[in-house]
Amino acid sequence: MSDTPLAKARARPVYRNIGFGDLAHYRLPIPGIASIVHRVTGLAMFVCLLFLLAMLQMSLKSEAGFEAFRSVVWGNPIAKLVLIGLMFALIYHLVAGIRHMIQDANVWLDLATARTSAFAVFGISVVLTALVVWRLM
Amino acid sequence: MAASSKFISEWWLQRISAVIVAAYVFLVLALLMIYGTPNAVQWQSLFANVGFKLATILTIIATAYHGLVGSLHVWPDYVKNRAVLSVLNAYTWVAAIAVVLWATYILFGLK
Repeated sequence: MSDTPLAKARARPVYRNIGFGDLAHYRLPIPGIASIVHRVTGLAMFVCLLFLLAMLQMSLKSEAGFEAFRSVVWGNPIAKLVLIGLMFALIYHLVAGIRHMIQDANVWLDLATARTSAFAVFGISVVLTALVVWRLM
Repeated sequence: MAASSKFISEWWLQRISAVIVAAYVFLVLALLMIYGTPNAVQWQSLFANVGFKLATILTIIATAYHGLVGSLHVWPDYVKNRAVLSVLNAYTWVAAIAVVLWATYILFGLK
């Protein structure tokens, strides 16, 4: 006890939560990126839900409403890009959610598999989104 | 004890609601893949079907719950200011309830 130098005890590293300023020094591993994207896509969809309902109401109100949606919203390149982004968010969140629930069963948890499945989630979501957008064109 | 059982039921409900939404998304995307982009008549007759109306409102309720619980868990990890957090939490509750009420109106009260 008494032979432990006080200076050495003081030199022990301090672990804290990181702040935004520290972010540049950290490289998030791919499973970490998959996790944060799952959160971001979920929040983005939740925030957009009311706008999506407005569009649903417009499309169901009348035939003219449906055509107005097609020309005003779907015909606008920026709005179309946002909607395609939301489609990716939905598909990504769903695929990542399936991976999450597989991991709930205590499998696929070793680092190598977690990395592979995180990459797979990105790959599968991009392909599925491309397929859906192709069918909507 | 009460807190932990609340957590466990929330954990299960989060997954049950996810499965409900996933089933509906698979259904709609399968319809899109098979039949392609709908026109006004096809789209509106799909939503006139009572079975599809019920599946839609069930999915909307599951979505609102899932988004409510998810958002309430995620906000405090990034927002440390108590006042801002309260505003976000209030918005989350209002949005979740509004989504269910508005969707009910769109599906069962429109026209």
